[in-house]
Amino acid sequence: MLHCTDMTVLERQRARLKWQQQDQFHHEQPEEEEEEVVVEERSGCYFSELSGVFSGPSHVSQVPGFDGGGAAGNSIIGPVKPDPGSENGWSEMSKILVPGFGFPGFEANFSISRTASCPPLATAAEEVKDKMSGAAATAGRESFKKRKLDKLQNLKVVVEDETRDKRLKGCAEEGDSKITDQNNNNRENSDNNSKENSKVSDVQKPDYIHVRARRGQATDSHSLAERVRREKISERMKYLQDLVPGCNKITGKAGMLDEIINYVQSLQRQVEFLSMKLAAVNPRLDFNIDNFFAKEAFHASPPANFPTIGMSSEMNNNPAYLHHQFNPLQHQQVVSCSGIEMVINPPDMGLRRTISAPVSIPETFLDSSCFTQQLQHLLPSSTTWDADLQNFYGLQFDQDRSTTFPSHQPFTGSIEASNLKMEM
Amino acid sequence: MRAPNSLKQEFLKKWISGLQMCSTCSKNMSILERKKAIKLSADVAMASARNGRTCWSRALIANASKNDKDKLLVEHILGNSEFQRLNKISTMRPTMTNKRVRCKKILKRSCGTIRRVSKRVVPQKILASCVAKRLSTKRTQVLKSLVPGGEFMDDASLIEETLDYIMSLQTQIDVMRSLANATELVLSRKNEQW
Repeated sequence: MLHCTDMTVLERQRARLKWQQQDQFHHEQPEEEEEEVVVEERSGCYFSELSGVFSGPSHVSQVPGFDGGGAAGNSIIGPVKPDPGSENGWSEMSKILVPGFGFPGFEANFSISRTASCPPLATAAEEVKDKMSGAAATAGRESFKKRKLDKLQNLKVVVEDETRDKRLKGCAEEGDSKITDQNNNNRENSDNNSKENSKVSDVQKPDYIHVRARRGQATDSHSLAERVRREKISERMKYLQDLVPGCNKITGKAGMLDEIINYVQSLQRQVEFLSMKLAAVNPRLDFNIDNFFAKEAFHASPPANFPTIGMSSEMNNNPAYLHHQFNPLQHQQVVSCSGIEMVINPPDMGLRRTISAPVSIPETFLDSSCFTQQLQHLLPSSTTWDADLQNFYGLQFDQDRSTTFPSHQPFTGSIEASNLKMEM
Repeated sequence: MRAPNSLKQEFLKKWISGLQMCSTCSKNMSILERKKAIKLSADVAMASARNGRTCWSRALIANASKNDKDKLLVEHILGNSEFQRLNKISTMRPTMTNKRVRCKKILKRSCGTIRRVSKRVVPQKILASCVAKRLSTKRTQVLKSLVPGGEFMDDASLIEETLDYIMSLQTQIDVMRSLANATELVLSRKNEQW
């Protein structure tokens, strides 16, 4: 690595001229981000290989409190790189770059990218590196403390100081490795980077993705896209976890996918079953359509006006789970007393009960447990469901009403049906 | 996500109109035919209730409208202009997605060679992650076959579509169950009456 230093000086100076012309003082940033990406991908061995070299200029040029940073940068280079030529060249360059420096916007940007950057793997590698070059690390930290002060003002910085230090160091290393490894590409890179950087700074996206985009953009659009994609997937997986029952305890993508597949299959089978059932129930595909559409208007008014009849209001006053303890005889009597409305009431009551206290329902009542299952399955906003279910049952009851003389039989039938569905 | 109440009502309305159409088209069907018609109309109604905004609903409609007999039904449920619009989208889509798939295949092939090389160097390190990846890809394939139009989706959109699909299925099942209960009630009551 050290044999490349001559080239680096040359290249550096050429690049410096270019920078001065364009006044693109922070071109280094994307370059380093690029490096981060590369290093992430190539894992720790790459790091250990690099660890002998600790960077100067690229690292220094990023320091917001620049004067101190420059000195620190020199001290860092000192122990590791004995080549004076390269050192001088770099420090000189960095000093020249000073005037263009110190834009708050840039500082903010860069600290963001730093905090969001390295994955655990990279930081681990840096820990190893820490041990190897202790002196350099401490020197680096001194300079970083100044940076911290600046960063305190930056709201977006969340990561702890230590990890930030490590990451900074990582950046530095990577910058250097870039310089030594890819001398030939240096100029083109700086050109590209400056262009990209200006483009990026124009477009301000939301924080996290923005950072990642900027980082990846420097080199590897593949890895960038991959990371964004993975993030998206995991985020959606979380939503799915909430949606699919019994998926909360499972960790790991494969297990979760298993659960999701099972659930989707069960839902599809349920649809099959229900359509089969409907086909079996209706000899002709005649679903009393007139009734349904006549009652569309009925949706608006909830079926709360049903229990206005004497018997039913009495039932309302009773403990909620009373009515399902009715024996058939009693039920028959009730039906004979109050006619149609009475039959309408029990499911309605059951429904309202489940809505009012969805947790503390006696599970013996099949109908209500069926409803609660529905409630739990779907949305937590029970108010909309309340109205919804009531609407729907209002529709159903109205349909009931159209028939002339009901008895208790149908109701028990529906309970059986729901029981059946529960077992599915 | 979205008010399930309105979704339900929309679905119900569309479904019922679809069923009505089925019943007028053919008077005497076997139970299996009837079941098929009910299921198809329910699926299409659900897809159209989602307004064709999601991939799965578009794919479902496209699949359904492949069959000429079902095409009428689909058209009826969707409404004519909507049908035209969606059909245009669905005929446009496959060519694009095919291209993308082909690209992916090439990419995969090239990646595969690289991976094979690295595997030879450090087999044990990669083994665990490889197994995990294989497991999840296998399951993703299964999931793709389950969600309509899933073959043309990438992973991220697949998950998103699955989310939406599950929501819709839940709504659909809810409505269907309620309707089944209602009709059962009516019929048994009628039987009592006689």
